[in-house]
Amino acid sequence: MHELEARGLQMKFGGVTAIAGLDLTVEEGEIRGLIGPNGAGKTTFFNACSGRYPVTAGEIRYRGQKISGMKPHQIAAEGLVRTFQHVTLFKQFSVLKNVVAGNYLHARHSYWGSLLRTRKTREAEAGSVARAREILDFVGLGALMDQQAATLAHGHQKMLGIAIALAAEPKMLLLDEPCAGMNSDESREMIHLVRRIRETGITIMLIEHDMKVVMGLCDRITVLNFGNEIADGTPEAVRANAQVREAYLGSQAHVA
Amino acid sequence: MDKTDIIASPNRLVWAGLLLLALAAPFLVGFDLYLIHVGITISFNVALATSLWMIWSLGVISFAHAGFMGIGAYASALVLTKLGLSMWYGLWIGAVISALFAMLIAVPLMRTRAVYFFMASWAVGEVIKRNFAYFKDFFGGWDGVFDIKPPVLDLGFLQIDFADRLAYYYLALFFVALTVWIIYRMNASRTGMIWWAIHENELLAQHTGINVFRQKVVCFTIACTLVGVTGALYAHYQTYISPKSFDIWKSEFALVHLIVGGLTTVGGPVAGAISLTMVDEALRATGYFRTIFFGVVLIASVLLLPGGLETIPARIRRLFNRKSKE
Repeated sequence: MHELEARGLQMKFGGVTAIAGLDLTVEEGEIRGLIGPNGAGKTTFFNACSGRYPVTAGEIRYRGQKISGMKPHQIAAEGLVRTFQHVTLFKQFSVLKNVVAGNYLHARHSYWGSLLRTRKTREAEAGSVARAREILDFVGLGALMDQQAATLAHGHQKMLGIAIALAAEPKMLLLDEPCAGMNSDESREMIHLVRRIRETGITIMLIEHDMKVVMGLCDRITVLNFGNEIADGTPEAVRANAQVREAYLGSQAHVA
Repeated sequence: MDKTDIIASPNRLVWAGLLLLALAAPFLVGFDLYLIHVGITISFNVALATSLWMIWSLGVISFAHAGFMGIGAYASALVLTKLGLSMWYGLWIGAVISALFAMLIAVPLMRTRAVYFFMASWAVGEVIKRNFAYFKDFFGGWDGVFDIKPPVLDLGFLQIDFADRLAYYYLALFFVALTVWIIYRMNASRTGMIWWAIHENELLAQHTGINVFRQKVVCFTIACTLVGVTGALYAHYQTYISPKSFDIWKSEFALVHLIVGGLTTVGGPVAGAISLTMVDEALRATGYFRTIFFGVVLIASVLLLPGGLETIPARIRRLFNRKSKE
């Protein structure tokens, strides 16, 4: 059984084909890179996996279960959680509250519990807060817990985005350009964080434009171009692939 | 106990003071019937504004809110005039009918967003009002329903006739306190956090596993149930209701109460509804100019007090801090 499996996946928006029949598998425990030029369909693939947009044809399976056709909250509940390319937070919340909110799936929420503030509810909330503190310490935002999310530096905001995703206790994470807009120090920190997340047993798939990050971090890389897979393999194999070079740099014929 | 901002610590002293003041108010005004009437009106407006604020925690304002108050009012009134059951039944029947309609309407309504929601809810409010007017035989048309008697509470050893204004004041106060308490509790808990999370970022909320659509329907339904109860109380106090009692303007006044009071805490709508109802009553003497003065007060408060009345404590604190630094 594959961790994540796409079969004949097609994504069309009106007349535009974003993904044209993609077959792809990700195995448990790996860090998989998803790269390709702009408009190759990388983020569209994440949107399909997370249920944000319905698939046009084909199917996606997560741990053997068909998730294409499911709603985003149902897919998150299955343990497949994503982050976003642009900073996506509950901006007016404090850093801690962001992560506590992200812990929704495991907080045993009930309306009557909220109203009557039963012991069970209070215990669940305390557990949620404790878990959020753990996660924030883990990603390195422990010192900024009480700050408002909107006031964080960009790098910290991206980290917080990942902390929110971790609070949902995923088995697999889809990271959409975790290092986008980061300086090299922040980037290095992020790479370190992604490795540590994998060590906790979470499978990771990430989109990234920075080749140094991708090549250094990923076990395997899948390259997309115009909605098709053009290469798949270890970083070395992908780097050596002529088709990949052509997609990124243009063909030799044009250059000459 | 581990205090975090997750469960907002209530300003118990302020709330207790407000409740005591409300309990003592009839004595303080010397049982003046007109002022007690103002007190009852304030109670209804507080309940209306606070439950509207509960919907606002999702990030939208429903202009159908007064309409749902009307559903509760008409249900309770008709239960009395047609079935002969007193308000003690009508109150709950009104609440249930209001809740059922809210749930049914929320299903299509909550699929719309932002400005489309405002427009759609506006239409819902208008349709509710027009239905009361259109089905003349059942709802009494534009003439409305008359003779909605206030209830009598018979405890055997004690009989309280709520035709007495003072008794009704305490009845209204009880229900508005209950309404505010329920909304406060919901808001200061995981439920409120979920709703504010949807308010802040619906996309992210969805992807953290929250069933956003269901949460919206539930929130809308609870708010409309509470305002349905308020509507029933309103009907039996006024003893007369017509479609015009529950038109868009009523929703809009509640929205004004929210804006003047503040949008981020329960204290906002409560403060806004209390103060603006008082201003409105004080301006009654100006007759035709009442709405103009009301508009001036509204514009002045938005210009001079952005963030609303709820920001006053923080402003005072800042003022003192600045003084102590000098």
